[in-house]
Amino acid sequence: MPIANSPETERVLDREAIVDGPNPLGLEGVEFIEYATSKPQALGQVLETMGFRPISRHRSREVLLYRQGAINIIVNAHSSGTALTQAPVITAIALRVRDAAAAYRRALERGAWAVPARVEVMELNIPAVHGVGASRIYFVDRYKEFSIYDVDFTPIPTVDQHPPALAGMHLFGVVQYIGNDRTEDWTEFYSELFGFSALAAEQRFGILPKGRILRSPCDRFYLQLIEPEPGVLDLDDDECLQRLGLGTADVVATVAQLRARGVEFVASKVGDIDSRGALTRSLMGGVMFELVHDERAQA
Amino acid sequence: MIPLEGHIGDFGMDTISLAGPLEAKLSAIRDAGFTQVMLAARDLAGHQDGWRGAVAAVKASGLRVTGFQVLRDFEGLSGHLHDYKVDIAKSMLEMCQALDCRLMLACSSTSVHATGDRDALVRDLRKLAMLAIPMNIKVAYEALSWGRTVNEFPQAWDLIAQADMPNLGLGFDSFHLFATKTPLEDLELLDPGKIFLVQLADFMWNEIKSVEERITTARHFRVFPGEGVHSQALAELTVKLHQLGYRGDYSFEVFNDDYQQMPLETVAQRARQSALWLGESVLRRSVPLPNQMRLKQAPRR
Repeated sequence: MPIANSPETERVLDREAIVDGPNPLGLEGVEFIEYATSKPQALGQVLETMGFRPISRHRSREVLLYRQGAINIIVNAHSSGTALTQAPVITAIALRVRDAAAAYRRALERGAWAVPARVEVMELNIPAVHGVGASRIYFVDRYKEFSIYDVDFTPIPTVDQHPPALAGMHLFGVVQYIGNDRTEDWTEFYSELFGFSALAAEQRFGILPKGRILRSPCDRFYLQLIEPEPGVLDLDDDECLQRLGLGTADVVATVAQLRARGVEFVASKVGDIDSRGALTRSLMGGVMFELVHDERAQA
Repeated sequence: MIPLEGHIGDFGMDTISLAGPLEAKLSAIRDAGFTQVMLAARDLAGHQDGWRGAVAAVKASGLRVTGFQVLRDFEGLSGHLHDYKVDIAKSMLEMCQALDCRLMLACSSTSVHATGDRDALVRDLRKLAMLAIPMNIKVAYEALSWGRTVNEFPQAWDLIAQADMPNLGLGFDSFHLFATKTPLEDLELLDPGKIFLVQLADFMWNEIKSVEERITTARHFRVFPGEGVHSQALAELTVKLHQLGYRGDYSFEVFNDDYQQMPLETVAQRARQSALWLGESVLRRSVPLPNQMRLKQAPRR
């Protein structure tokens, strides 16, 4: 009997376009991370001391693209509706997927909230769903032959469009602060919608081993979910994407290079710098980066 | 002598028991000594200042919102009916979030358009819970005693267990339990951490003979616990839930046509008597911390 004729199968196909495997979206790492701030130059300076270079401007909005190695950071100072805060906020993670439209549909079918597109004429409509707090998760499938930046951004003249990463740094992960008793909720969110899986509690990276770590199905980056300390009053349950983790094969050497550029680090418990990781001092009301020892080659 | 009022914080009234505008209901509930209120979407949608005005009134009242009700006939639909219900669910979740309310109630479907296919019901409940996760809202799924496929709490529990979502749990209404005469021992199936809400109500007759009579009784003739003929059973139920480890809220789900035409204070006082009876004579829970402070629990070992 032809399978497609069975009502059961039709119902499944009606709801499910993709056969699920360990990597249901064909995830292949992060295309970009977006910050929003009303002080884009100040954030730009912070990013430049960390080794990022401004390489492109958005065609119609006050948006700048910074890059080092394979890490793209978008600084968005274009306020649309909601007022921007001075303190930069991580407002989006863009995931590289096999088929953005299919990934978007699959997420909506499973209960993600669609973000209404607000594209200008001739701009790309990049599908997105709501993430934690006011953040978004974009799906991008143009990152091989040509990129999304080719359409929406204009390269800054004379600037190297592919600046190498300082000390081989690559995106290791994103730390997300969550409310009390919310670890299971967010684990379910990322595993059901994107195929992430929780690591065993004893598998830890870096110097800040709290919370739960989720591994991306492409095994290229991690999300770390951190609840408030036990005993802390549950007053407002603010949830947000808190900081980026950058991987490097040699933490001590990377710290030395970054210090030479003016980056300050928080003292570690084991003397000056712990070879497992380091945390930059918070700037602009909360921007910080965590270095994590990671031998893997830059993605 | 210290008045025994500490326990009233465990109980809340439901706006559906009272007539009149939202602000009057909130004042009557607060003045009777309650600290929490169960709200219905209609309270917000029908407010003279719009639903945002209603949210402001609720916040100004200082009452904690026990839960937000009720999403009907969600699970088991397909095609455009499913899409339509997802839109309704999203609107309700947005109102619930605006109230800083962490619990939305969904009751089992009565729709003849809904399938009884278990996998479809589970998939829809998972989707509903997923919609609620970014908003930090839990979904309490309740078996209506006239639900088409799910009409007793063990069936609701089976779906919840299969759906296995951290923010999907059971909403438990004593009326439906008594109406279907579901054995109290079945409560032992439940994980107390997954009981998200207990609604209590009594009624005036022993037998409910037909489904039609069940619906009529549920919608018009409920009374507060202790006022009807099932007081003993309600006492046993709450004690049983306590023994199982339930420490969440109790809300009085009392639909009553007479109460709809009595002064609000009179109805609220009856609710208060009910809360004091349950709190002092039946449950004897320890007095809660002041100001509803909620401390995070240390992880269980």
